[in-house]
Amino acid sequence: MKEKTKFYKDHYDVIVIGGALAGLSSALMLADKGKDVLVLERHNLPGGLATSFVRGGLEMEATLHEMMSIGKKDNRLKVGKFLDDMGVDIDWLEVPEAYHASLPGGVEVTLHPGFETFAREIDQAVPGTYEKVLSVLNLCHTVFDSVNYLSIHHMSKVQMLLKHPAFVKTAGYSTKEVLDTFNLPQAALDLLAPYWIYVGSGFSELPFTIYAVLMADYVGYGSFVCKKFSHEMSLKMAERAVEMGVQIEYRQNVEKILVKDGKAYGVRTERRDEIHADYVISGAYPNKVYTQMIEPLSEVPERAIKVVNGRRVSLTAFSVVLTLDRSPEELNIKDYSVFRATKTMDTDAQFKELGTLGPYTYTTTICLNLANPDCTPKGQTSLSITTLPRPEAWKNVKPEDYDRVKHEIARQLIKDISDYLGVNLFDHILEVVIETPMTVARYTGAWNGCIYGYAHTMEDHIIARLQTSEEERLIKHLEFAGAHQISGDGMAPQVTNGRKAAKNVLDSMAEEKEAAK
Amino acid sequence: MKFKGFLKDVGGASRVTKARLEAFENASASPVKTDPISECMKAWHPGRIELELKEIIDTCKSAKSFRFVRKDGKELPYFYAGQYVVFDFEIGKCTVSRPYSISSSPSQARGKDGFLEITVRRAKQDAFISEYMLDKAKKGDVFTALVGNGQFFYEPLRDAKHVVALAGGVGITPFVSMAREVAAGKLPIDLTIIYGSEKEDDIVLKEELEKLGGKNVHIVHVLSGDNPGWKGETGFITSEIIKKYSAEDTTYFICGPQVMYRFVEKELKKLDIPQRRIRFEVFGQARDISRYDGFPQERKDKTYKVTVVRGKDKVTIPAKATESLVVAMERAGIRIETGCRSGECGFCRTKLIEGSVFVCPENDGRRAADKDFNYFHACSTYPLSNLTIQIPIL
Repeated sequence: MKEKTKFYKDHYDVIVIGGALAGLSSALMLADKGKDVLVLERHNLPGGLATSFVRGGLEMEATLHEMMSIGKKDNRLKVGKFLDDMGVDIDWLEVPEAYHASLPGGVEVTLHPGFETFAREIDQAVPGTYEKVLSVLNLCHTVFDSVNYLSIHHMSKVQMLLKHPAFVKTAGYSTKEVLDTFNLPQAALDLLAPYWIYVGSGFSELPFTIYAVLMADYVGYGSFVCKKFSHEMSLKMAERAVEMGVQIEYRQNVEKILVKDGKAYGVRTERRDEIHADYVISGAYPNKVYTQMIEPLSEVPERAIKVVNGRRVSLTAFSVVLTLDRSPEELNIKDYSVFRATKTMDTDAQFKELGTLGPYTYTTTICLNLANPDCTPKGQTSLSITTLPRPEAWKNVKPEDYDRVKHEIARQLIKDISDYLGVNLFDHILEVVIETPMTVARYTGAWNGCIYGYAHTMEDHIIARLQTSEEERLIKHLEFAGAHQISGDGMAPQVTNGRKAAKNVLDSMAEEKEAAK
Repeated sequence: MKFKGFLKDVGGASRVTKARLEAFENASASPVKTDPISECMKAWHPGRIELELKEIIDTCKSAKSFRFVRKDGKELPYFYAGQYVVFDFEIGKCTVSRPYSISSSPSQARGKDGFLEITVRRAKQDAFISEYMLDKAKKGDVFTALVGNGQFFYEPLRDAKHVVALAGGVGITPFVSMAREVAAGKLPIDLTIIYGSEKEDDIVLKEELEKLGGKNVHIVHVLSGDNPGWKGETGFITSEIIKKYSAEDTTYFICGPQVMYRFVEKELKKLDIPQRRIRFEVFGQARDISRYDGFPQERKDKTYKVTVVRGKDKVTIPAKATESLVVAMERAGIRIETGCRSGECGFCRTKLIEGSVFVCPENDGRRAADKDFNYFHACSTYPLSNLTIQIPIL
């Protein structure tokens, strides 16, 4: 039964569930096209994982390592351009390097963005590899350009083969298969591997297409963070959306998506407001939507269950976020991001380890000060140490063991980075926050605390996702926006995922208007 | 370009598409509803729950302890010793929230007979709720509560094994929880509680504290008033007393009234304690906001009109310049979520649409970008003009 409410309009064009980056991108694009949009966010802040928190008077970054797809002001990539176009003016700071790799056998190499620079720096570490590494990066760049072109333009298969041969010919192969054809020495391959954690599958599973986009974007165009933490980005997107007429309501947990005759028509919130709209865009995972949220559940087609069961959710997160009472120099910290492997740089072996509760031997350490010197008071350091376990590893952790497990892992990670820096970080902790899969679940409601959507694998290939995406729109007027969508994980891809959902809605509106004529 | 192995293979896209569709065909058609990670999370953070008042215990002439159990019979949520619970009180047409440090220990909350205790002292100011609890609450009453809030707890990765707790008045309660946990062998630290009170018969939870003293829990009372026959420490909690009970590496936890914070902070400075070894609990709303630097004195007796926007709804309420906007809203019967009521937790994050406000400088826990966009934490913010503000719909 509809509960009468004074807080909402009788009807909206679109209701967006979740005010994180994807949902806000959908809202911005729909509002830009004059649509009447309501965003319902369960937390009292926008942004989902793109947020910050204050401890002991210090603001700390919750999750953002580095944003891809932004580009410098005079050469914006798609996400940077979209935000500019929408009038979301973010104070972007460029990350100074691609990464520092600290690998087994005493390998310590810092690599900088720019294909030639990157290849030259690898060549210095592994002499004689310049040409081959550069050709790997050029291949990545070619595929990246094709992906960007083809995501907007439709083309026949023949045309595609003629105009985008590299894209077509690498489509059916894993990253390992493609990289193997270059006959690079293992040491050079290892230096090309660290970013894999940003897409969450080991190289034997990871489609080369995804690797190509990842490398071309980060290595070719660098990466960025926001001056006032990722909350700046989330808040500016939300405020701009409101300025454009979007209604955003915080603290509204959507429990049900209302469906009749195969078509979504509204939602019901935890406080029992029933709100109607022509379209619903869900930030909640399809797993949750199809098994718990659709009302009535009899409206869920069997195909929807098979689709979610046929996909593997990707990684969740474990992060130790520290504020330390010494400057980065005093702590021997020289790099913004350190990808550190103490056992192996074999990405498949590292992936396997993420299915356990540790010890974790592959970590990413970010020192925010090196891109954003004002992120702490002078003489202090913001440092986060992250590993991205699989939800399976955490599913048997009992509530009574949770605190012990999280502290054991956090201690191991801090100790490992202390050994690396030659400084006992335990002697310098002003604030420490441990983020776990459960923390993700608590604040975002993500299915199994998963931050990366569905795993990028050869069985769930981005090209296949694009080919079959129409067949996965199983309930009319219901779209999804989040890491669980075509572009997958990462903050920048959420903007793309959100825009895709908005485009689906706009196309559907246009088609139905046409049909009604 | 070198990917010669694939030159003839142009069928990749079709192949991966087929593989994906096959994976769907082969997948089970029975819904998987379990999300074990969220289930574990809910044992720690179930959101608001109902607690039933089971027992009222006199602890000293000015305070009582209240023991609660979970009404739905489930186990209580997990929490850390030192954290607080937020209670919602329905008084007349108003819903008013208050944070209380939990004085029982985390292990006492476990199991089917688990309970949770708070200790309430008769307040001199802002006595509204303490009077309600001390004079009106009775066994069987049910309260809505949010358990396990705040950052005031021992963190083994950060804090020294030797902990000195500096307590004043009812600020003893988080340390009673810690002491209980240490005494039960569940928290491996050496805890010394230096507890400042005025008179001996005014010591909150005195008997309970005496029982807890032992191998790893040491209780030191410091009395400031006239107490004939008292043989213990006297005066205030000075650097000399603090030093006497400190180890080489000690973490200090401080909880008590605001005046005590100012005093103790000065005393700790004399001992040259590093910042990371000092942990303050938040101390609640400012006693008198008009005494802070920057508060315009000419407005302190003013009452303003505040338009509160929730979704498409608007209500206008009166608000005094010297009363926080949370209090103004609660008084007017508008529900707003609060936690710490000290500007820290951000539960009462509010958007200023029009007008000007004064944010208590000691209680400003806002994010930098929030400041830029005129968000404030309503528990520590005061109106300086007629306002329009927006809060979440509760």
